[in-house]
Amino acid sequence: MSTLNRMWRIGATGFCFGVFGLGGLVILCVLLPLLQLLPGRTRRRQAAKNTLHYGMRLFSGLMALVGVISYEVRGAEKLRRNGLFVLANHPSLIDVVLLMSLVRRPDCVVKAALWDNPFTCGPVRFAGFISNAGGPAVVDDCVASVRAGNNLIVFPEGTRSVPGQPLNLQRGAANIAVRGPLAITPVSISVSEPMLTKGSKWYRVPQRKPHFILTVHDDVHPDQLFDQEPALAARRLTDWLTQFFTRS
Amino acid sequence: MQKQDIYDWIARTLEETFEIEASRISLDARLYDDLDIDSIDAVDLIVKLQKHTGKRMQPDAFKSVRTVGDVVDAVHALLQQ
Repeated sequence: MSTLNRMWRIGATGFCFGVFGLGGLVILCVLLPLLQLLPGRTRRRQAAKNTLHYGMRLFSGLMALVGVISYEVRGAEKLRRNGLFVLANHPSLIDVVLLMSLVRRPDCVVKAALWDNPFTCGPVRFAGFISNAGGPAVVDDCVASVRAGNNLIVFPEGTRSVPGQPLNLQRGAANIAVRGPLAITPVSISVSEPMLTKGSKWYRVPQRKPHFILTVHDDVHPDQLFDQEPALAARRLTDWLTQFFTRS
Repeated sequence: MQKQDIYDWIARTLEETFEIEASRISLDARLYDDLDIDSIDAVDLIVKLQKHTGKRMQPDAFKSVRTVGDVVDAVHALLQQ
């Protein structure tokens, strides 16, 4: 029975990847050109981000429907606001899909390579995501995005976690929060079975269906926690976040 | 400013701004690998350098900088101009 279930999930995972890739191509070939017809740069950006949000909602529902994953969200109402700076740990490739399905007008710092991938270049251009290739200027872009009312999602680790290893956070996210200054809405993601971790093959599905739990915590105000110069406050906040995500 | 003055100022600033222990700082210490200075820190450092020397400095001038010694050389060259 469990073998049959695994076979099913391998097929379903492949199907979901196919749908995701197809969705990326549809955005590139259809929605991206259509978007240019909408007047106003700000309106275009917002409409595109919201479209992607609904797309990710559909896709998350699809993954649950075909039985690739199951998931639950605790405190989801805290994400129904605008201008959030959402920080999350990053156990799986799917994290960003789930988070984007939960916030309207999602924005995200995305690795530059996705602008060159045929399946993802459409969506990242369409939504106007922030490339991580911008160096220190990324900090200002992120603050501006949140101030404009987008919900910015950043994974402070900068990449997916390595299972069994202690969390290793970069200081970029803390710098954004400190220099904004921006309140942080932390989301801790836990998953019952490692799935689509860094370097894993998609067809090596876990023994059992992975269950994701996303817990949305109350806002954290770094400016009330640390009053040092930005460079030091960012270091303290990075340590604080490392402990926070290790515990929760 | 002599190179020694520049080095002393940089070493002190690294200690004060980033809480790096003095024992880790040397001419050969690599900013990123040894002292954990990232690109955002580097911008902070350049801003402080500009304030201290009163001279405008383009971040580009520090592009190929790897070690503390490289920073000293770059600042020295900029001040000679």
